[in-house]
This record gives sequence, structure tokens and C-alpha cells, in this order.
Amino acid sequence: MNVMGIIFANDATLGALTNKRTMASLPYGGRYRLVDFHLSNMAAAGVRHVGIITRHNYQSLMNHIGSGEEWGLELEEGGLEFLTPYAMSATDSYHGKLEAIHEAMDFLNSGPEDEYVITCDSAIISNIDLQDVLNSHIASGKDVTVVTKAGIADGFKQLDLALKLDEKGEILDVAVDYIAPADYVASMDIFIMSKQYLRNTIREFIARNLFHMDRDLILGQWQKNAVTINVYPFGGTALYNESLNEYFRNSLALIDPAVRHDLFGGIHPVFTKVRDRVPSYYGENCKITNSILADGCMLEGSVESSVLFRQVTVGKGAQIENCVIMNDTVVGEGAQLKCVILDKDVIVHPGAKLCGTPNHPLVIKRGEIV
Amino acid sequence: MYFQKKHCIAMLLAGGQGSRLKVLTENTAKPAVPFGGKYRIIDFPLSNCVNSGIDTVGILTQYQPLELNEYIGNGQPWGLNKTHSCAQVLPPYERHDKKSGWYKGTANAIYQNIDFIDRYHPDYVVILSGDHIYKMDYASMVAYHEENNASCTIAVRTVPLKEASRFGILNTNADNSIYEFEEKPKVPKSTNASMGIYVFNWDVLRNALIADEEDESSSHDFGKNIIPTLLHQGHRMMAYNFDGYWKDVGTIDSLWEANMELLGQAPEFNIRGDERYKIYARNNALPSSYIDGNAKTTNCFIAEGSEIFGTVTHSIISIGCTVGTGALVEDSVVMPGVTIEPGAIVRHAILGENSVVGRNAVVGGVFSPKDKKKISVISKGAVVEANTVLLPGEML
Repeated sequence: MNVMGIIFANDATLGALTNKRTMASLPYGGRYRLVDFHLSNMAAAGVRHVGIITRHNYQSLMNHIGSGEEWGLELEEGGLEFLTPYAMSATDSYHGKLEAIHEAMDFLNSGPEDEYVITCDSAIISNIDLQDVLNSHIASGKDVTVVTKAGIADGFKQLDLALKLDEKGEILDVAVDYIAPADYVASMDIFIMSKQYLRNTIREFIARNLFHMDRDLILGQWQKNAVTINVYPFGGTALYNESLNEYFRNSLALIDPAVRHDLFGGIHPVFTKVRDRVPSYYGENCKITNSILADGCMLEGSVESSVLFRQVTVGKGAQIENCVIMNDTVVGEGAQLKCVILDKDVIVHPGAKLCGTPNHPLVIKRGEIV
Repeated sequence: MYFQKKHCIAMLLAGGQGSRLKVLTENTAKPAVPFGGKYRIIDFPLSNCVNSGIDTVGILTQYQPLELNEYIGNGQPWGLNKTHSCAQVLPPYERHDKKSGWYKGTANAIYQNIDFIDRYHPDYVVILSGDHIYKMDYASMVAYHEENNASCTIAVRTVPLKEASRFGILNTNADNSIYEFEEKPKVPKSTNASMGIYVFNWDVLRNALIADEEDESSSHDFGKNIIPTLLHQGHRMMAYNFDGYWKDVGTIDSLWEANMELLGQAPEFNIRGDERYKIYARNNALPSSYIDGNAKTTNCFIAEGSEIFGTVTHSIISIGCTVGTGALVEDSVVMPGVTIEPGAIVRHAILGENSVVGRNAVVGGVFSPKDKKKISVISKGAVVEANTVLLPGEML
């Protein structure tokens, strides 16, 4: 099947964690970045041409993805392209996704004409069979497919795009930036449409100052009865990382075997950049419980209900509880950490005490010494 | 086709059967035997090559090569798949002149691949074997070889006198030049044991291989034939002292020991935390490991993709393993993809890849420090049925 992919890397909303990196390069789950899930989903579905649209702070993203080799996207034809501002026709930032794709029209125009396009955002991760979504799209004969997830709307969380469906799956209501009640389903920010439909839409819309996928295409055209929408309800685990709290909660959610096995033991493996670290060493006196640990760690203290990334050092007598600790961070002897997110390369001095709360995790910025 | 001229290339002898590893090498060549949680034995010499700046490696395979060939692939995990680098698997092949067929010995294996080496016009060829665990900078050895204007340089290490008769022993002059080589001497004159690592001037080795091939009485072996012949011909041959960690993992006991020597606060062989000298391995796309609330994990390696619900102490748990609730793993090497079901007890054992220890089964036993440990071994994919016992030293 001819299908190309577009991943939006930015829209960073996690404060200090995304000040100097894109949402796509946000570390997750010990050894991953959010973009790994999207690239792995696309590669597994046979997508052989992927464009990553990114505006700024993309150095960490480029460093992580490189040539795309790990995802099987280092190819003679197609492969992986970074669509940075300099590779696009305008260097200003864009207003909406349609405008962003408009600026990357050369990318869209490459390859065969009868292709489909899958677009996705970085913040919502899942292990989804995009081939099945594409089959559903083609079978439906509709203009656009929106992938949705039930159970996300709860009357508190604001959704980018919310749909209300009847029991047959027909759309009753569409809302944008909406604190939706629980009987709405949330968009997973994954859309499929034909290349020709997307290109025609962009040509007509940009000419009329319409830039947004959710607001202008889905909502606006639905209200005018000018678009047919296929809804693909996703039954697996979808983790929405749209706020710091959500990210913190979703990180620790991996301790739950149902979440962990669905995300990693699902349809296909999740690929990431290889770092060639040694297996983690669990010391004579360490006490590790209910935790997720990557490779290369040196563990001498106690760790409970936490996620440790690669090459984290936990000194003797240190006590870590409900924490997310990123690559190469060193927690000194006897330090006590509770509900803390430590970014990469942090040094926590021996005996230091840091404490957040489950709803307000404390964030220590990359490279800080505390 | 254009081949860049190379200063030095490496030839890695990986065809050995490793029959002393018994069930572990029934279907696997020794260099492909898993080691240290996420590695295979061949990762050590291959990574040494990369870390020494040697970017062209010929890998001679013969016994059960499928898994090994697949593992090496195009050399990408070691960065040996670039325009002017390669990891080339060299199996035996048929030639028009009938001087071909199975590799008859280590020297014959290189002889049959003279054409491969000639493409790179190397000044030096390093000969390595695929069954040793160590970190070594071959570039220093080549530099030493050059400085001493030698035709051949052999890496040596000091072994205890009582063990010296198990090795090829080199007797040297004051300047470390070799005047005598004795293969497994009954009465050793020195304790300089050959490590099976050689640097040759390619022109010298090339001529020696051709002459050796003509000699019907030769067993076409480096230690037995090539080295003594060159020495006899008066070539300048040097001993290169190496005092770092080095282990021949050719037996069940030494394989178990070498794995255990990775553990501890100050391990005998430290592969942790050395950013400048990484050991590379082919990676599997596995998630981080999970350690359960009831698990107890002390003094152990746990590689990625494992889930631990029981107790693990003084052991290596490789990638993708599961240790069930209430299970105990002690003093053991658990190879990739093993499942240890709840309540099972595993002590002093090597569990082959993807093997299963059933519920409440018991494998191996306890030994006092001064006793000789009898290691129990489970072969690849074997299943120890629930509630059964595999005695110390037994194999399945």
C-alpha cells in the first residue's frame, strides 16, 4: 500500500521538560522518546516515507533519530526527512497543521499520486496497527479518518478534538478545545486521508486563511456537511501526555503490567536509538521494588515505584520513591527523592532531600546540580 | 570494484565447534554463545577491532554458522557496514583448483581467503579467535610490532607455572623477541602463554600460508605449523605482553566463571561505565525491565526486557527473561529469553536461551566456597518439567 507519514514534533507543553527539546524527543519509559512510538507504528504499517515537521529545538530530535536506521527508515527511496523551517518555503512559524503541511508541499508532492497520508502528533502514544486504520479508511470510502479513544474525556480534561457518537458510530457532535463530558470520545490526533484530498483541501483553505486541521477541516467542514468522516475507535492503551501531570502519571503507569504489555508487547516492537549500554547492575545492598529500569544503571540504594532511564546511578542509602529519573543522572548517597522528575545529567548531592507531590511533581532541569 | 588500501585488517577465526561447552553448542557455534546478559562471545573481539580502529574484519565460520551469520549480518551493530568498512562472513567454499572445501585448520582457513585479504593490500593482518572474553587495544599491539620491526608478534600473558603445560609457551630473549615456541610443553621453560592473537606482516604470512598448504604433512595450524616454521626460518618474532583480563570461555566452568566475574562492587572484569571502550552488540527492541514489589534483586546484572517477580542474587539475567513469583535464582547464568516459573529454584546453573524451568522445579545445588562447583546446564529451548529436579552437574 502506498502511504506516507507526517509527524508533528512540536507543540511542547510540559514546561521545563520541553524548553529545550521538542515534544517528539521527550524521554519516556526508560529508553524511549515519544517519537519512537510514532515511527515504530508507521514503520510496522509499511510506511516507507516519513516527514517530521519541526520548528525549533530540534537538535535533540535529529540526534536521536539520525538517519532513521533503527526504524528501518534508512532507505534509497523515501525514508525519513526532517521538515525544518529551512527546508520549508517559509521560515516563520505556522499557525496550524494545514499551514505547516502547505509549507512542506514538496514533501507531499513527492512519490506516487495515489498515496494516502497518515498524520500524527507526538504527545499521544500508543501501539496501534496503522495498517488496520488505513484498511478501515479505504473501506469506508470517506474523506478523512479520525482515530479516537473512549474514556479520555472526563469533564475535566480539555480535548483538542472531541466527538460525540451515537450507538452506530455516527457523529452527533464535533467540538474543538473542549472540556468534554465523559460521553465524548477523544481524537488521538491521528488522521488518514488521500494525498489528493489533503492537497486540494490545503490549496482551498490556505487561500481563505484557514490553517487548522481540527478547527477548520474537521469541525468547520463537518458543520457545513462538506466532509465525510470515518471514525476509527482504538481499543488499546493510548497515553495522552499533554500536561506535566499527565506525563508523570503516564510514566509511572508502566508499572501496571496491563499498560506495559499493551504498549510494548502489542502488535509490533517499539524501536529506539541503540546506545550500547551494559545491563544494569543491582548492588549488594540495593532494594528495588515496583519499578521500571533501563540498561546501564548502577544501583546501590532503594528505588520504589519509579522509572529509571539509562545509566542512572543510585548511591548507597539513597531513597527514591515515585520518581522519573532520566539518562545519566546521579543520585548521591543518602539522598531522598519523592515525586520528582529529574531530567538528564542531573547531579543530586549526597544527603539532599527533594519532594514533590503526586499531583505536582518537582522538576529538576537538565544538567542542574542540587 | 575499488577497495581502499588498509594499514591493518583483522581475520577472526569463528569456526570452532566448542565441543567442551557440550549442550550449549549443540546447535550454536561457540562465538555465538550468549555472554554477560546481552552480548555474545564474538562481540568482544569484534568490539575490540572497532575500538582499535580496525574497520575491516573477515569472520571465518564453519560449524553451525546460521545463527552466527544472522547475528553478524552486515556488521551494522559494530559500525562495520560503511562504505570503506566491513564485517565479512567467510564460510568455506568450492574452488576450481580443488584446494578448497572445509577449513582443515586455522592456517588453512586463512589460506582459503587470501583473495579476500589481497583486495585491501594490508600491511598487517591481525589473527583473532572468537572464543575469548577480554578488552584489548590491537592498535597498540600493531604499533609495538612496527616499532620492533617484527614479522610476527604474538600476544602473551603470564600464567601460573602449573598451568603452563596447557598452553602454547613462548620462550623469549631479554628484548622480548621469541627464540622458541613450545605447544603444550610437559616441562615449561617459561610462563609466557600465547593468547592466540597474532599480528603478521601480510607478505610474510601470505608466503608462509602458501608454503604450508603445499606441505602434506602439515596440520595447517598457526600454533603447530606456521609459528614454528617462521621461527625456524629466522624471522624476527616478538612477544607482546598483555596483563588485562582475559578468559578462554571454552568450558562450562570457565563460561560460568567469566559471567560471575562481571559481578561485584569491584568486578574482576569491569565492562560497566567505560564510555570510551564500549562493547557493542546486536540489539533487540525490548523495553526496560520491570522489578516487582515482591522481587529481591542483589548483586546481579539484569538486562532489558526482563520481568522479575522472585529473588535473584549473584546472577546474570539476560534480555527478555522472566523470573516468577517466589522463584529463586542464585549463582547462575540465565541466557536470553528464559522463563523461570513461580516457585522454581535455580542454583549454580547455566540456562540456555529460551529454556523453561517449570513451576517448583529445582535445578542445581549449593556448594561451599572450597568445593569444586558442579554447574547444571540446560540446553537451548529445553524444558525442565514442573516439580522435577535437575541435579548439580547434570545437563538437559
